[in-house]
Amino acid sequence: MAIIELKNVSYKYPLTDSPALKNINLQVNEGEFVALIGPNGAGKSTLCYTIAGFVPHFFKGEISGTVEVAGSESSKSNLHEWVLNVGLAFQNPFNQISGAKYTVFEELAFGLENIGVPRDEMIQRVNDAMKLTGISDLADRSPYSLSGGQQQRVALTSILVMQPKVLVLDEPTSQMDPIGTREVFGVIRAMAERGMTVLMAEHKVEWIANFADRVVALHDGEILLEGTPQDVLTSDLLVEKAFGISRYTSVARKAKELGLWKGNRLPVTLEEAMDGFAR
Amino acid sequence: MNSFSMYVARDSGLHKLHPLTKGLLTLLLLVSGLTLPGNWTGYFLVLLVITPLAVWGKVFRSFLRIVWGISLPFILSVVIIQSLFWGSGTPIFEYWIFAPKVEGALFAVISVGRIILVMAGFILFAMTTRPDTLMISLKQVGVPSSLAYIIVTTLQIIPRFQSKASTILDAQRSRGLETDGNVFVRARAVVPIILPLVLGSLVEVEERAIAIEARGFNSNKKETSLIEIPDSNAQVFFRKFFVLLMVLSILARIAWQLLN
Amino acid sequence: MLENIKKEFSTRTLVLIPIAIAINIAIGELVVRLKLPVYLDSIGTVLVGAIAGPWAGALTGALANLIWGLFNPFAAPFFYVAAVIGFLAGLAGKRGAFDKESPRWLSVLVGAVFVFSLTMFVFAFSNASTDDTGYTTYPSMTDLLSQYAVIFAVAILIGAAIGYFLLQKGGYAGFWGLITGIIAAIISAPTAAYVFGGVTGSGTDVVVAAFRASGAGILSSVMAQGAVSDPFDKMLSFMVVWLILRSLPMRFRTQ
Repeated sequence: MAIIELKNVSYKYPLTDSPALKNINLQVNEGEFVALIGPNGAGKSTLCYTIAGFVPHFFKGEISGTVEVAGSESSKSNLHEWVLNVGLAFQNPFNQISGAKYTVFEELAFGLENIGVPRDEMIQRVNDAMKLTGISDLADRSPYSLSGGQQQRVALTSILVMQPKVLVLDEPTSQMDPIGTREVFGVIRAMAERGMTVLMAEHKVEWIANFADRVVALHDGEILLEGTPQDVLTSDLLVEKAFGISRYTSVARKAKELGLWKGNRLPVTLEEAMDGFAR
Repeated sequence: MNSFSMYVARDSGLHKLHPLTKGLLTLLLLVSGLTLPGNWTGYFLVLLVITPLAVWGKVFRSFLRIVWGISLPFILSVVIIQSLFWGSGTPIFEYWIFAPKVEGALFAVISVGRIILVMAGFILFAMTTRPDTLMISLKQVGVPSSLAYIIVTTLQIIPRFQSKASTILDAQRSRGLETDGNVFVRARAVVPIILPLVLGSLVEVEERAIAIEARGFNSNKKETSLIEIPDSNAQVFFRKFFVLLMVLSILARIAWQLLN
Repeated sequence: MLENIKKEFSTRTLVLIPIAIAINIAIGELVVRLKLPVYLDSIGTVLVGAIAGPWAGALTGALANLIWGLFNPFAAPFFYVAAVIGFLAGLAGKRGAFDKESPRWLSVLVGAVFVFSLTMFVFAFSNASTDDTGYTTYPSMTDLLSQYAVIFAVAILIGAAIGYFLLQKGGYAGFWGLITGIIAAIISAPTAAYVFGGVTGSGTDVVVAAFRASGAGILSSVMAQGAVSDPFDKMLSFMVVWLILRSLPMRFRTQ
């Protein structure tokens, strides 16, 4: 059952001439993990904002087509209702700290206070979410005293605590160091394994390959390719447009040209590469 | 607490009082000190009411330090200027062209009393009340939560901006910006510091707005609060009593003005 | 009208205000560190007024002073002045003062008029005479002009230079800043005079003292001090905000 459905969606930001999204048709089923790849300016963030409702409700601009998530239609809803269904986290963890709270625990409860959840339930939900994402030890710290990776995990947790049906992530590890990246991916993985529907824009192709159910490649506001990670990430089309290629794929591609690649299909992950070269 | 406030955490009875109780008490002291007739009311209230409260709040030493530190330049200025420029009156002494007047000095001392009252009251309140609990209690009496958000956030980010300005100043200096010299040289240093500071901050406004909207902010829903503020019936009573006293104090002043 | 007021307080504005207040304080301190004879502590307020509107500007100003008052109690009672500054900045914004480039001659004119009036003002005060009954007479403008013709001419030239070099093409903004500064000086004087006896513990007290020495009463002296420093300071602040907004990409300027 499709929990996200975009039909013929086109969108233009205010004061711009060219559309950021052109005729997007996309379906995501409940529990799916969909990765969104594309060069800068392809429309990944715009697509994320569209599913999260900020396009068009926050950014205004001109939108056509229909956006449906969890039974609600974007044009018939408002942002305040929409965010209850769709959680959004993005690159910069620092900008996601509200600034209004002195401890991580209170920061996590911020969203619940805004939507009027009773105190006992609030405390329960925050504790549960912290356990899930492994940040219970940060509960009494000031959000401003944390590392980038810790802040991003707090940001993710503060969205999870709102219990959305869909999680939209716009390049959540772009500003992380390797440790932070691992921590954040760990949390996202835990979410996905519990059945959360996730749409994530990401450049780190190797991780996507290991983990996503489906990959959507965006180029110039349109969907270029869609399919399993193996299908999409080894496609010649990506080479042509020059993005989304993992190191392993490039190396194996070169090896294939030289007649050294023994596998049937090009690898995307380290395992597949080792496998193919070992034969 | 890494924020721009005077709050000092202590385990004291004064700290445990409800923020509104303390707030109204402070207002009462201000109002009565400024409206009640008598030139020395300010000093009385500071010595007899505020100082014991500061002791109760276990912040007496820091309190004294802060009040003194803030008032001193002011006191000096007032006394010097008012006594020297009083106009006609009886001189305290005469030396060359300086002849401070008794009337001026007296006026200064009276003004100082009032100002110290206002400052001491306010400082004690700020030292013993956490800004966020104050905001929550104000929300409970109807202050819009957007206002509360603005105030608490401001307090938290001020230190960050102060250090950002310092960082940019240093960075520009290391790139050759001149900051010593005559007025024109120094003045030219201002814009290369202000521009990056402000532009950099404006860019984050949009993302921050998205982030809090994503958490239901500004959504006109009835809000709840994580933190519970302890209160008591006695305090509720006293708050009403304080308001009453304030009104009486103002009326007393009006009556006194009319009778004189 | 209430709807229009509410519209000014979008989430973006609510996020902007704390940042603007922090900017006020950071720049105000920077200027002290650089030992410059200006305040420049309203740039954030003017910015909010220009971007979000008059009511948002007014709230920013009021809150900025009250919060600044936590550390410098003398700032707090002047919250209404800061509110008016923010409000006027908003009006200036609505009139496009921050979007448009003014012709240079306007900036020159604004600068010249400002310094000319300032000089006139200072001379009027220093040449005032108080007779025994306490009645102060001020010399007439024509008398002053003929007496100090050369100085006035120099003043106009200095003002023109200020307009040309400092205001450049931000003449509209500078003009609004000037008006705002004058209004600010007038409305802040009573509080400074009666609440503080004309003293704030800062360097400008010397100016007040100087005017008092010439025989003026407390209120007039304070107003005189304000008239000397506020218009220039606000003119500069508006000009800086104009510069800032010109450097912003288009999409940040609309709300």
